[in-house]
Amino acid sequence: MTFLRKLLEFSGIHPDRLRARWVSSAEAVEFVHEISEFAEDIKKLGPNPLKVKAREAA
Amino acid sequence: MSQKIREHVQKLLAEKKIKGFLGLREEGGNIMPHLFCDPKELDHLSLGNWKKAGDTRYPLNQLMIRLTMNYPEETFAVLVRGCDERGLKELFKWKQLNEEKVALVGLGCPDELARTCECEKPFPDSLLDGPKGEKADSQKVARIEALDLDARLQFWRTEFNRCIKCFGCRNICPMCFCNECSLEEDQLVGTGEIPPSNPTFHLARAIHMVGRCIDCGLCEEACPADIPLRTLYKKVAEIISKEFGYKTGFSVDEKSPFNIIEVK
Repeated sequence: MTFLRKLLEFSGIHPDRLRARWVSSAEAVEFVHEISEFAEDIKKLGPNPLKVKAREAA
Repeated sequence: MSQKIREHVQKLLAEKKIKGFLGLREEGGNIMPHLFCDPKELDHLSLGNWKKAGDTRYPLNQLMIRLTMNYPEETFAVLVRGCDERGLKELFKWKQLNEEKVALVGLGCPDELARTCECEKPFPDSLLDGPKGEKADSQKVARIEALDLDARLQFWRTEFNRCIKCFGCRNICPMCFCNECSLEEDQLVGTGEIPPSNPTFHLARAIHMVGRCIDCGLCEEACPADIPLRTLYKKVAEIISKEFGYKTGFSVDEKSPFNIIEVK
């Protein structure tokens, strides 16, 4: 993860777009919390620049 | 210049310590890899255009792997620069070559070449001839880091867009020894389009260079589209060195970061 985040950053992709968490199948609350938080953070970052570029090109 | 090396190899051959020496041979103005088995042939021994990067460099380590597959019982010597030696150390660790069956004939690179390569260690430990040059700092990585995220993405996407998917970078790589390659897996990296998935194709290769790339620069020299692959892999090596304290190819005993489980 550390490596991937650094590599993404070097390539121009915000490292916060990548996240890994361990959540057991018994921890529903934890799972919802992680996903909601991730979704919020991603919304703040805006659309994926790779997809934006692809759409512009099309 | 190659007198020392010639005498050393001559001695190894005469004493029957090695079956052959994998080096470079000059004939009719061309330089090519050659396996010297007879001391008489050594008149044609060449060090290539050793002052400059490019043109006359070959992945000798890759040839070594093929050679030892066919003659597993024999010992061979091979001409190595700093980078080639780092490669050998990794190949020993990855069990692609048997350390006991490989004799190293080391050649140091001149400062000019070390600077062009931005080489971390432009001489092998088995230095026999040539200078013991100084480490050259990398500016290529810093130049990209000076850009903001959008500009970096723009830069790499433009570079990767020129890719014709010739697999030259992979095929010449002395560290790419896998029989099956992820880059050919449709489910991992989309196939059937040119340029290949941008930036997935090249980032996937970069990830696979973790603990393998020894910064020889052959990929960049082979690339017909002049994609600055070396800069990308230099960054890979930098991350591994800074975050995991692992320097690829600097020791035979130290394990690669993939073999270490992090306990916090």
